[in-house]
Amino acid sequence: MLALYRCLLRLYPAAHRQEYGEEMADVFCELQTEVRSETGGQRFWPRATFFLREFAGLLSGALYEHSRAITGSDLSFPSRRFTMRSEFRFPNATPILMAVILAGVILAIEKATAIEQSFPLAYPQQLPPIQPEHFTFFPAMAVIFLSAYAAAVIGWALLFAMRRSGMHRLSEMPPVQTQK
Amino acid sequence: MDVLPLTEPVLLILLSIAEQPRHGYSILKDVEEMSEGRVTLSTGTLYGALRRLLEDGWIERFREEESSRGRQAYRLTPAGRRNLQLEATRLKHLAKVASLRVARKGL
Repeated sequence: MLALYRCLLRLYPAAHRQEYGEEMADVFCELQTEVRSETGGQRFWPRATFFLREFAGLLSGALYEHSRAITGSDLSFPSRRFTMRSEFRFPNATPILMAVILAGVILAIEKATAIEQSFPLAYPQQLPPIQPEHFTFFPAMAVIFLSAYAAAVIGWALLFAMRRSGMHRLSEMPPVQTQK
Repeated sequence: MDVLPLTEPVLLILLSIAEQPRHGYSILKDVEEMSEGRVTLSTGTLYGALRRLLEDGWIERFREEESSRGRQAYRLTPAGRRNLQLEATRLKHLAKVASLRVARKGL
């Protein structure tokens, strides 16, 4: 069981494993010895409960540590607000700005439709339609928004990858002094 | 870990090392004893909490000289003790209010 425990420890981020891995395995060993001596190696359920608790604790702990490493926050990843390192958060004004843009786009389309309908057409058969026939409002808006979000996510992912690479630390390096 | 109230496991871990430095196994046993068997921490939960407490400066490592195995023990820092005192005061106040309210309802 100790071998399995050590295998599961590999699920933790390397930094956590290096700092606490041996200690955790030692404590697990002590607990295992105690459970064995208490149950005399005979009773199944106390031992099963112990192993289940330990392995579940390891898995949830590893998940927590990884989510913390990614988000830079001690909040639980799935249950709380998605927080990132402050320099990679979307600005609070983003939803407002996007709502304003959306309203502007809707107004522009409405206006264009109204102009199109009120335009006195001398030769309607010669004027091509402003929009293709299959063009409808909601699918178009969905495409626009999906494209915008995809661009934002790609941009964020690039910034995040740069941050993870430690590139930002270059600016903290002291300038090289050249000898005259 | 910058806000109170503390979660029960964290509170019990801090109480466990409030009297004397303890290593991981000792903390687990003490937490179980203090909670009368109600709270049983796994090693994953314990070391996750210890890592956060260490990072926030509430506890610090302490090398056990007597131990032949040279195990890591943990003890409260002054900041950790101050925060634990604050939490104890908060709980005391809450218990007092609860007692009064329950007593009034019983009249």
